[in-house]
Amino acid sequence: MAHAVISCLHANLAAVEAVLDDIDQQGIETITCLGDLVGYGPQPNEVVELVRQRNIPTCQGCWDEDIIDGLNACECSYPSQLAERRGHRAHHWAAERITKDNKDFLAGLPMTLRRGPFLFVHGSPNSQHEYLLPGMSAFAALERVESAEADTLFCGHTHQPYVRELRDGSIRMKLEKPGTDQSVEQEITLPIRRIVNAGSVGEPRHGNTHATYVIHDEIKEKVIIREVQYDVAKTCQAIIEQGLPEVFAWRLSHGFEYAERADDADHVCERS
Amino acid sequence: MKRWALISGLHGDLELYEQIQNDLKHQRSIDSLFVLGDLIGPDRNCDALLDRIRNPKRSDIKPDCVYGWWEEQLLAECGYRGDRRAQALRMSDGEEAVNQLMNAVDSSHVPWLASLKFGFIELDCALIHASSADIGDKLTPETSPLILLDRLTRLDVNRLFTAKGGQQFRVKLTGGTIQSHIKDHEGMQKANHAVPKRSVIGIGQQTAYTLYDPATDLVEFMEAGGKAPTSKRQGLGFA
Repeated sequence: MAHAVISCLHANLAAVEAVLDDIDQQGIETITCLGDLVGYGPQPNEVVELVRQRNIPTCQGCWDEDIIDGLNACECSYPSQLAERRGHRAHHWAAERITKDNKDFLAGLPMTLRRGPFLFVHGSPNSQHEYLLPGMSAFAALERVESAEADTLFCGHTHQPYVRELRDGSIRMKLEKPGTDQSVEQEITLPIRRIVNAGSVGEPRHGNTHATYVIHDEIKEKVIIREVQYDVAKTCQAIIEQGLPEVFAWRLSHGFEYAERADDADHVCERS
Repeated sequence: MKRWALISGLHGDLELYEQIQNDLKHQRSIDSLFVLGDLIGPDRNCDALLDRIRNPKRSDIKPDCVYGWWEEQLLAECGYRGDRRAQALRMSDGEEAVNQLMNAVDSSHVPWLASLKFGFIELDCALIHASSADIGDKLTPETSPLILLDRLTRLDVNRLFTAKGGQQFRVKLTGGTIQSHIKDHEGMQKANHAVPKRSVIGIGQQTAYTLYDPATDLVEFMEAGGKAPTSKRQGLGFA
Protein backbone atom coordinates (compact mmCIF):
# COMPACT_ATOMS: atom_id res chain seq x y z
CA MET A 1 0.00 0.00 0.00
CA ALA A 2 1.32 3.44 -0.91
CA HIS A 3 0.91 6.40 1.39
CA ALA A 4 1.88 10.04 1.01
CA VAL A 5 3.70 12.16 3.59
CA ILE A 6 3.55 15.95 3.47
CA SER A 7 5.22 18.52 5.71
CA CYS A 8 5.83 22.23 6.26
CA LEU A 9 2.75 23.57 4.49
CA HIS A 10 3.41 27.07 5.83
CA ALA A 11 0.09 28.71 5.01
CA ASN A 12 0.65 28.41 1.26
CA LEU A 13 -2.79 27.40 0.00
CA ALA A 14 -1.92 27.19 -3.71
CA ALA A 15 0.94 24.77 -2.97
CA VAL A 16 -1.15 22.62 -0.62
CA GLU A 17 -4.01 22.36 -3.13
CA ALA A 18 -1.60 21.40 -5.92
CA VAL A 19 0.05 18.69 -3.81
CA LEU A 20 -3.27 17.24 -2.65
CA ASP A 21 -4.43 17.16 -6.30
CA ASP A 22 -1.23 15.32 -7.25
CA ILE A 23 -1.79 12.77 -4.48
CA ASP A 24 -5.43 12.30 -5.49
CA GLN A 25 -4.50 11.79 -9.13
CA GLN A 26 -2.34 8.85 -8.11
CA GLY A 27 -5.14 7.21 -6.20
CA ILE A 28 -3.38 7.46 -2.84
CA GLU A 29 -5.84 7.60 0.03
CA THR A 30 -3.57 7.61 3.06
CA ILE A 31 -1.88 10.92 3.78
CA THR A 32 0.12 11.91 6.86
CA CYS A 33 1.11 15.50 7.61
CA LEU A 34 4.18 16.36 9.68
CA GLY A 35 3.07 19.79 10.81
CA ASP A 36 3.98 23.45 10.33
CA LEU A 37 0.62 24.28 8.82
CA VAL A 38 1.14 27.96 9.60
CA GLY A 39 3.96 30.52 9.47
CA TYR A 40 5.60 32.49 6.64
CA GLY A 41 2.65 32.19 4.24
CA PRO A 42 -0.48 34.32 3.75
CA GLN A 43 -3.31 31.77 4.27
CA PRO A 44 -2.96 30.13 7.71
CA ASN A 45 -6.68 29.63 8.35
CA GLU A 46 -7.38 28.35 4.85
CA VAL A 47 -4.61 25.75 5.07
CA VAL A 48 -5.59 24.55 8.56
CA GLU A 49 -9.20 24.28 7.44
CA LEU A 50 -8.26 22.28 4.34
CA VAL A 51 -6.25 19.81 6.43
CA ARG A 52 -9.16 19.51 8.86
CA GLN A 53 -11.67 19.09 6.05
CA ARG A 54 -9.57 16.34 4.45
CA ASN A 55 -9.19 14.73 7.88
CA ILE A 56 -5.44 14.27 7.40
CA PRO A 57 -3.65 12.80 10.46
CA THR A 58 -1.19 15.52 11.46
CA CYS A 59 1.51 15.97 14.08
CA GLN A 60 2.43 19.32 15.53
CA GLY A 61 5.23 21.38 14.01
CA CYS A 62 7.40 24.01 15.64
CA TRP A 63 5.43 26.91 14.13
CA ASP A 64 2.16 25.31 15.25
CA GLU A 65 3.60 25.01 18.75
CA ASP A 66 4.71 28.63 18.82
CA ILE A 67 1.31 29.90 17.66
CA ILE A 68 -0.24 28.09 20.62
CA ASP A 69 2.34 28.71 23.32
CA GLY A 70 3.70 32.05 22.18
CA LEU A 71 7.24 32.70 21.07
CA ASN A 72 8.97 30.90 23.91
CA ALA A 73 11.10 28.82 21.63
CA CYS A 74 14.14 30.11 19.88
CA GLU A 75 14.71 29.30 16.24
CA CYS A 76 18.46 28.87 16.56
CA SER A 77 18.53 28.19 12.86
CA TYR A 78 17.78 31.80 12.07
CA PRO A 79 20.92 32.76 10.22
CA SER A 80 20.84 36.36 11.37
CA GLN A 81 19.03 38.73 13.68
CA LEU A 82 17.28 40.25 10.66
CA ALA A 83 15.99 36.81 9.71
CA GLU A 84 14.89 36.27 13.30
CA ARG A 85 13.02 39.58 13.32
CA ARG A 86 11.26 38.62 10.09
CA GLY A 87 10.31 35.28 11.63
CA HIS A 88 8.89 37.05 14.66
CA ARG A 89 6.89 39.43 12.42
CA ALA A 90 5.43 36.46 10.58
CA HIS A 91 4.61 34.78 13.89
CA HIS A 92 2.74 37.81 15.22
CA TRP A 93 0.92 38.27 11.90
CA ALA A 94 -0.30 34.65 11.95
CA ALA A 95 -1.08 34.69 15.69
CA GLU A 96 -3.35 37.71 15.21
CA ARG A 97 -5.27 36.10 12.36
CA ILE A 98 -5.65 32.45 13.32
CA THR A 99 -9.18 31.71 14.54
CA LYS A 100 -9.78 30.23 17.98
CA ASP A 101 -11.19 27.10 16.40
CA ASN A 102 -8.10 26.57 14.27
CA LYS A 103 -5.82 27.39 17.18
CA ASP A 104 -7.58 24.76 19.29
CA PHE A 105 -7.07 22.28 16.46
CA LEU A 106 -3.31 23.04 16.37
CA ALA A 107 -3.15 22.74 20.17
CA GLY A 108 -4.68 19.28 20.02
CA LEU A 109 -2.19 17.87 17.53
CA PRO A 110 0.08 15.08 18.80
CA MET A 111 3.88 15.39 18.81
CA THR A 112 4.26 12.06 17.03
CA LEU A 113 2.16 9.59 15.08
CA ARG A 114 3.00 5.90 14.86
CA ARG A 115 1.76 3.33 12.39
CA GLY A 116 3.39 -0.06 12.87
CA PRO A 117 7.14 0.30 12.30
CA PHE A 118 6.75 3.87 10.99
CA LEU A 119 7.13 6.93 13.20
CA PHE A 120 6.03 10.36 11.99
CA VAL A 121 7.48 13.52 13.59
CA HIS A 122 8.03 17.13 12.58
CA GLY A 123 11.70 17.60 13.54
CA SER A 124 12.99 14.57 15.40
CA PRO A 125 11.61 12.19 18.03
CA ASN A 126 13.33 14.43 20.61
CA SER A 127 11.95 17.79 19.58
CA GLN A 128 9.93 19.65 16.96
CA HIS A 129 12.90 22.01 16.71
CA GLU A 130 15.70 19.51 16.08
CA TYR A 131 16.93 19.32 12.49
CA LEU A 132 17.78 15.90 11.08
CA LEU A 133 19.92 17.21 8.26
CA PRO A 134 21.17 14.74 5.66
CA GLY A 135 24.77 15.45 6.64
CA MET A 136 24.42 14.71 10.35
CA SER A 137 26.48 11.91 11.88
CA ALA A 138 25.17 8.58 10.59
CA PHE A 139 25.43 7.08 14.07
CA ALA A 140 23.50 9.99 15.64
CA ALA A 141 20.86 9.69 12.92
CA LEU A 142 20.53 5.96 13.58
CA GLU A 143 20.24 6.63 17.30
CA ARG A 144 17.23 8.92 16.70
CA VAL A 145 15.39 6.17 14.80
CA GLU A 146 16.46 3.30 17.05
CA SER A 147 15.68 5.10 20.33
CA ALA A 148 12.20 5.84 18.97
CA GLU A 149 11.74 2.10 18.32
CA ALA A 150 10.93 2.64 14.65
CA ASP A 151 12.17 1.05 11.45
CA THR A 152 11.52 4.14 9.36
CA LEU A 153 11.34 7.68 10.67
CA PHE A 154 9.41 10.23 8.62
CA CYS A 155 10.37 13.84 9.37
CA GLY A 156 10.30 17.32 7.90
CA HIS A 157 11.47 20.67 9.31
CA THR A 158 14.59 21.00 7.11
CA HIS A 159 12.55 21.84 3.96
CA GLN A 160 14.95 19.62 2.03
CA PRO A 161 13.60 16.20 1.02
CA TYR A 162 15.83 13.15 1.22
CA VAL A 163 15.82 9.43 1.91
CA ARG A 164 18.64 8.12 4.06
CA GLU A 165 19.31 4.44 4.61
CA LEU A 166 21.71 3.40 7.37
CA ARG A 167 22.99 -0.14 7.01
CA ASP A 168 25.82 -2.62 7.63
CA GLY A 169 26.68 -0.89 10.88
CA SER A 170 28.65 -2.20 13.83
CA ILE A 171 30.35 -0.81 16.92
CA ARG A 172 33.27 -2.45 18.71
CA MET A 173 33.73 -1.64 22.37
CA LYS A 174 35.87 -2.53 25.35
CA LEU A 175 34.41 -2.51 28.86
CA GLU A 176 36.48 -1.97 32.00
CA LYS A 177 35.03 -2.25 35.49
CA PRO A 178 36.53 -2.11 38.98
CA GLY A 179 37.55 -5.34 40.63
CA THR A 180 38.89 -6.97 37.51
CA ASP A 181 42.02 -6.56 35.45
CA GLN A 182 40.31 -8.04 32.42
CA SER A 183 38.48 -5.86 29.97
CA VAL A 184 35.62 -7.35 27.99
CA GLU A 185 35.52 -6.76 24.26
CA GLN A 186 32.26 -6.82 22.32
CA GLU A 187 31.02 -6.08 18.84
CA ILE A 188 27.44 -4.92 18.38
CA THR A 189 25.71 -5.27 15.02
CA LEU A 190 23.49 -2.30 14.27
CA PRO A 191 20.06 -2.63 12.65
CA ILE A 192 19.13 -1.26 9.23
CA ARG A 193 17.05 1.88 9.61
CA ARG A 194 15.74 4.61 7.36
CA ILE A 195 14.99 8.33 7.63
CA VAL A 196 12.61 9.86 5.10
CA ASN A 197 12.41 13.64 5.00
CA ALA A 198 9.30 14.87 3.21
CA GLY A 199 10.71 18.28 2.33
CA SER A 200 8.27 21.18 2.24
CA VAL A 201 4.98 21.75 0.48
CA GLY A 202 4.65 25.46 1.22
CA GLU A 203 8.20 26.77 1.46
CA PRO A 204 10.67 24.62 -0.48
CA ARG A 205 14.36 25.26 0.08
CA HIS A 206 15.89 22.47 -1.98
CA GLY A 207 16.97 24.63 -4.86
CA ASN A 208 13.85 25.07 -6.97
CA THR A 209 10.33 26.37 -6.49
CA HIS A 210 8.41 23.09 -6.71
CA ALA A 211 6.49 21.88 -3.69
CA THR A 212 7.87 18.56 -2.45
CA TYR A 213 6.44 15.55 -0.64
CA VAL A 214 7.12 11.80 -0.56
CA ILE A 215 5.25 8.65 -1.50
CA HIS A 216 6.18 5.50 0.37
CA ASP A 217 5.19 2.10 -0.98
CA GLU A 218 5.18 -0.24 2.01
CA ILE A 219 5.06 -3.40 -0.09
CA LYS A 220 7.85 -2.51 -2.51
CA GLU A 221 9.78 -0.69 0.24
CA LYS A 222 10.28 2.19 -2.14
CA VAL A 223 10.22 5.95 -1.50
CA ILE A 224 9.65 8.50 -4.26
CA ILE A 225 10.35 12.19 -3.75
CA ARG A 226 7.66 14.07 -5.67
CA GLU A 227 8.00 17.63 -6.95
CA VAL A 228 4.84 19.52 -7.84
CA GLN A 229 4.53 22.78 -9.74
CA TYR A 230 2.02 25.28 -8.42
CA ASP A 231 1.16 28.95 -8.91
CA VAL A 232 4.09 30.47 -7.03
CA ALA A 233 3.28 33.99 -8.24
CA LYS A 234 -0.20 33.81 -6.71
CA THR A 235 1.19 33.06 -3.25
CA CYS A 236 3.96 35.64 -3.65
CA GLN A 237 1.38 38.29 -4.52
CA ALA A 238 -0.71 37.39 -1.48
CA ILE A 239 2.40 37.67 0.74
CA ILE A 240 3.02 41.20 -0.52
CA GLU A 241 -0.66 42.18 -0.26
CA GLN A 242 -0.87 40.95 3.31
CA GLY A 243 2.16 43.01 4.32
CA LEU A 244 4.33 40.05 5.21
CA PRO A 245 8.11 40.47 4.71
CA GLU A 246 8.81 40.64 1.00
CA VAL A 247 11.78 38.34 1.32
CA PHE A 248 9.33 35.47 1.96
CA ALA A 249 8.03 36.00 -1.58
CA TRP A 250 11.61 36.21 -2.90
CA ARG A 251 12.44 32.94 -1.16
CA LEU A 252 9.40 31.17 -2.61
CA SER A 253 10.25 32.36 -6.09
CA HIS A 254 13.83 31.05 -5.80
CA GLY A 255 13.44 27.90 -3.72
CA PHE A 256 16.26 28.36 -1.26
CA GLU A 257 16.95 30.13 1.99
CA TYR A 258 17.69 33.82 1.77
CA ALA A 259 19.81 35.00 4.63
CA GLU A 260 21.94 37.88 5.67
CA ARG A 261 24.86 36.57 7.62
CA ALA A 262 26.50 39.81 8.67
CA ASP A 263 25.08 40.00 12.17
CA ASP A 264 25.14 36.33 13.21
CA ALA A 265 27.65 36.71 15.97
CA ASP A 266 25.38 38.24 18.56
CA HIS A 267 22.57 35.73 18.28
CA VAL A 268 21.88 34.20 21.67
CA CYS A 269 19.64 31.18 21.99
CA GLU A 270 16.44 32.13 23.80
CA ARG A 271 15.10 28.63 24.22
CA SER A 272 13.78 28.13 27.73
CA MET B 1 50.07 17.43 34.12
CA LYS B 2 48.28 16.76 37.37
CA ARG B 3 45.45 14.32 38.01
CA TRP B 4 41.76 14.91 38.58
CA ALA B 5 39.48 13.44 41.23
CA LEU B 6 35.79 13.08 40.29
CA ILE B 7 33.08 12.49 42.87
CA SER B 8 29.29 12.65 43.00
CA GLY B 9 26.29 11.81 45.16
CA LEU B 10 27.46 13.20 48.50
CA HIS B 11 23.81 13.88 49.42
CA GLY B 12 24.81 16.21 52.23
CA ASP B 13 27.25 13.75 53.81
CA LEU B 14 30.04 15.95 55.20
CA GLU B 15 31.76 12.99 56.88
CA LEU B 16 32.08 11.22 53.53
CA TYR B 17 33.38 14.39 51.88
CA GLU B 18 36.03 14.75 54.59
CA GLN B 19 37.00 11.11 54.13
CA ILE B 20 37.48 11.65 50.38
CA GLN B 21 39.45 14.86 50.95
CA ASN B 22 41.65 12.90 53.38
CA ASP B 23 42.12 10.10 50.82
CA LEU B 24 43.13 12.61 48.16
CA LYS B 25 45.83 14.06 50.39
CA HIS B 26 47.54 10.66 50.26
CA GLN B 27 47.33 10.46 46.49
CA ARG B 28 50.10 11.90 44.34
CA SER B 29 49.54 14.90 42.11
CA ILE B 30 45.82 15.52 42.54
CA ASP B 31 45.18 19.16 41.76
CA SER B 32 41.54 19.21 40.73
CA LEU B 33 38.43 17.94 42.47
CA PHE B 34 35.28 17.88 40.35
CA VAL B 35 31.98 17.29 42.13
CA LEU B 36 29.53 16.08 39.48
CA GLY B 37 26.29 16.99 41.17
CA ASP B 38 23.95 15.55 43.79
CA LEU B 39 25.65 17.43 46.58
CA ILE B 40 22.26 17.48 48.23
CA GLY B 41 19.49 14.98 48.90
CA PRO B 42 16.37 14.61 51.03
CA ASP B 43 17.70 12.22 53.68
CA ARG B 44 19.80 14.55 55.84
CA ASN B 45 20.42 18.24 56.41
CA CYS B 46 22.87 19.36 53.76
CA ASP B 47 23.86 22.77 55.13
CA ALA B 48 27.12 21.71 56.79
CA LEU B 49 28.38 20.08 53.61
CA LEU B 50 27.36 23.06 51.47
CA ASP B 51 29.08 25.44 53.92
CA ARG B 52 32.27 23.39 53.66
CA ILE B 53 32.18 23.15 49.87
CA ARG B 54 31.54 26.86 49.51
CA ASN B 55 34.18 27.74 52.11
CA PRO B 56 36.90 25.09 51.82
CA LYS B 57 39.45 24.56 54.57
CA ARG B 58 42.97 25.60 53.68
CA SER B 59 44.01 21.96 53.46
CA ASP B 60 41.11 20.97 51.18
CA ILE B 61 41.48 20.52 47.47
CA LYS B 62 39.17 23.26 46.24
CA PRO B 63 36.11 21.64 44.64
CA ASP B 64 34.62 22.67 41.30
CA CYS B 65 30.94 21.70 41.27
CA VAL B 66 28.21 21.18 38.70
CA TYR B 67 24.58 20.65 39.52
CA GLY B 68 22.94 17.24 39.47
CA TRP B 69 19.49 15.69 39.47
CA TRP B 70 18.73 16.57 43.11
CA GLU B 71 19.85 20.18 42.68
CA GLU B 72 17.66 20.37 39.56
CA GLN B 73 14.63 19.23 41.59
CA LEU B 74 15.31 21.77 44.34
CA LEU B 75 15.91 24.62 41.90
CA ALA B 76 12.77 23.78 39.93
CA GLU B 77 10.70 23.72 43.13
CA CYS B 78 12.19 27.09 44.14
CA GLY B 79 11.11 28.64 40.83
CA TYR B 80 14.48 28.74 39.09
CA ARG B 81 13.24 26.74 36.10
CA GLY B 82 10.32 28.84 34.91
CA ASP B 83 6.96 27.18 35.36
CA ARG B 84 8.45 23.77 36.02
CA ARG B 85 8.46 22.35 39.51
CA ALA B 86 10.06 19.20 40.94
CA GLN B 87 7.75 17.00 38.92
CA ALA B 88 10.27 14.21 38.36
CA LEU B 89 10.81 13.85 42.12
CA ARG B 90 7.10 14.17 42.81
CA MET B 91 6.31 11.40 40.35
CA SER B 92 9.05 9.06 41.60
CA ASP B 93 8.92 9.61 45.38
CA GLY B 94 5.82 11.67 46.16
CA GLU B 95 5.07 15.00 47.78
CA GLU B 96 6.74 14.09 51.07
CA ALA B 97 10.11 13.67 49.33
CA VAL B 98 9.78 17.17 47.84
CA ASN B 99 9.10 18.59 51.31
CA GLN B 100 12.06 16.69 52.77
CA LEU B 101 14.35 18.03 50.07
CA MET B 102 13.18 21.60 50.64
CA ASN B 103 13.79 21.19 54.37
CA ALA B 104 17.24 19.68 53.85
CA VAL B 105 18.75 22.83 52.34
CA ASP B 106 18.73 26.31 53.86
CA SER B 107 17.38 28.90 51.45
CA SER B 108 20.63 30.88 51.73
CA HIS B 109 22.36 28.16 49.67
CA VAL B 110 19.83 28.17 46.83
CA PRO B 111 21.26 31.13 44.84
CA TRP B 112 24.69 29.49 44.98
CA LEU B 113 23.26 26.18 43.79
CA ALA B 114 21.50 28.07 41.00
CA SER B 115 24.84 29.52 39.92
CA LEU B 116 26.38 26.08 39.34
CA LYS B 117 27.12 25.07 35.78
CA PHE B 118 25.58 22.16 33.90
CA GLY B 119 29.04 20.78 33.19
CA PHE B 120 32.67 21.50 32.43
CA ILE B 121 34.65 20.94 29.27
CA GLU B 122 38.26 20.29 30.26
CA LEU B 123 40.69 19.51 27.44
CA ASP B 124 38.72 17.03 25.30
CA CYS B 125 36.63 15.77 28.23
CA ALA B 126 33.10 16.61 29.32
CA LEU B 127 32.44 16.42 33.04
CA ILE B 128 28.72 16.40 33.78
CA HIS B 129 26.22 14.79 36.10
CA ALA B 130 24.34 12.72 33.50
CA SER B 131 24.48 13.70 29.83
CA SER B 132 23.53 16.65 27.68
CA ALA B 133 20.39 14.76 26.64
CA ASP B 134 18.86 14.95 30.12
CA ILE B 135 19.84 15.56 33.75
CA GLY B 136 18.26 12.18 34.55
CA ASP B 137 20.04 10.25 31.79
CA LYS B 138 21.54 7.11 33.38
CA LEU B 139 24.50 5.83 31.39
CA THR B 140 25.75 2.41 32.49
CA PRO B 141 27.82 -0.41 30.98
CA GLU B 142 24.55 -1.89 29.76
CA THR B 143 23.58 1.26 27.82
CA SER B 144 23.58 0.73 24.05
CA PRO B 145 26.90 1.86 22.54
CA LEU B 146 24.84 3.73 19.97
CA ILE B 147 23.43 5.88 22.76
CA LEU B 148 26.87 6.31 24.36
CA LEU B 149 28.25 7.47 21.03
CA ASP B 150 25.31 9.86 20.62
CA ARG B 151 25.97 11.41 24.03
CA LEU B 152 29.64 11.90 23.13
CA THR B 153 28.72 13.34 19.73
CA ARG B 154 26.29 15.84 21.21
CA LEU B 155 29.11 17.34 23.27
CA ASP B 156 31.80 16.80 20.64
CA VAL B 157 34.26 15.39 23.17
CA ASN B 158 36.47 12.31 23.28
CA ARG B 159 35.67 11.43 26.87
CA LEU B 160 32.45 11.85 28.81
CA PHE B 161 32.63 11.54 32.60
CA THR B 162 29.18 10.88 34.04
CA ALA B 163 27.75 10.04 37.45
CA LYS B 164 24.00 9.58 37.26
CA GLY B 165 24.16 5.88 36.32
CA GLY B 166 25.79 5.23 39.70
CA GLN B 167 28.34 2.70 38.46
CA GLN B 168 32.09 2.84 37.97
CA PHE B 169 33.02 1.75 34.47
CA ARG B 170 34.75 2.74 31.30
CA VAL B 171 33.36 1.87 27.90
CA LYS B 172 35.85 2.47 25.13
CA LEU B 173 34.45 2.62 21.64
CA THR B 174 37.27 1.03 19.70
CA GLY B 175 35.99 0.68 16.15
CA GLY B 176 33.19 -0.09 13.76
CA THR B 177 31.57 1.49 10.74
CA ILE B 178 28.22 2.21 9.15
CA GLN B 179 27.12 2.87 5.59
CA SER B 180 24.93 5.84 4.81
CA HIS B 181 23.04 6.02 1.50
CA ILE B 182 21.35 9.35 0.85
CA LYS B 183 18.98 9.92 -2.04
CA ASP B 184 17.89 13.50 -2.72
CA HIS B 185 17.22 15.73 -5.73
CA GLU B 186 20.92 15.67 -6.57
CA GLY B 187 21.05 11.87 -6.81
CA MET B 188 22.50 9.14 -4.60
CA GLN B 189 25.43 9.69 -2.27
CA LYS B 190 27.08 6.83 -0.41
CA ALA B 191 29.42 7.27 2.51
CA ASN B 192 31.12 5.03 5.02
CA HIS B 193 31.30 6.45 8.54
CA ALA B 194 33.79 5.14 11.12
CA VAL B 195 33.21 5.03 14.86
CA PRO B 196 35.46 7.63 16.50
CA LYS B 197 37.64 6.29 19.31
CA ARG B 198 35.97 7.74 22.35
CA SER B 199 35.12 6.75 25.94
CA VAL B 200 32.34 7.10 28.44
CA ILE B 201 33.50 6.85 32.04
CA GLY B 202 31.08 6.25 34.90
CA ILE B 203 32.71 7.79 37.97
CA GLY B 204 30.49 6.13 40.59
CA GLN B 205 28.58 7.74 43.43
CA GLN B 206 28.96 8.36 47.15
CA THR B 207 31.91 6.27 48.42
CA ALA B 208 32.84 5.18 44.89
CA TYR B 209 34.84 7.80 43.02
CA THR B 210 37.36 8.06 40.20
CA LEU B 211 40.82 9.46 39.56
CA TYR B 212 41.90 10.45 36.07
CA ASP B 213 45.25 11.37 34.61
CA PRO B 214 44.71 13.39 31.41
CA ALA B 215 48.37 12.98 30.42
CA THR B 216 48.30 9.19 30.38
CA ASP B 217 44.55 8.57 30.01
CA LEU B 218 44.73 6.39 33.13
CA VAL B 219 41.44 5.90 34.96
CA GLU B 220 41.49 4.59 38.53
CA PHE B 221 38.31 3.52 40.27
CA MET B 222 38.50 4.26 43.99
CA GLU B 223 36.56 3.54 47.17
CA ALA B 224 36.56 6.10 49.99
CA GLY B 225 38.77 4.88 52.80
CA GLY B 226 40.01 1.99 50.70
CA LYS B 227 42.37 1.16 47.89
CA ALA B 228 41.81 1.32 44.19
CA PRO B 229 40.00 -1.83 43.03
CA THR B 230 41.88 -1.59 39.74
CA SER B 231 44.71 0.44 38.42
CA LYS B 232 45.01 -0.14 34.72
CA ARG B 233 47.53 1.82 32.75
CA GLN B 234 46.35 2.87 29.35
CA GLY B 235 48.09 4.21 26.30
CA LEU B 236 48.82 7.86 25.83
CA GLY B 237 45.47 9.29 24.75
CA PHE B 238 43.63 8.20 21.67
CA ALA B 239 45.20 7.37 18.38
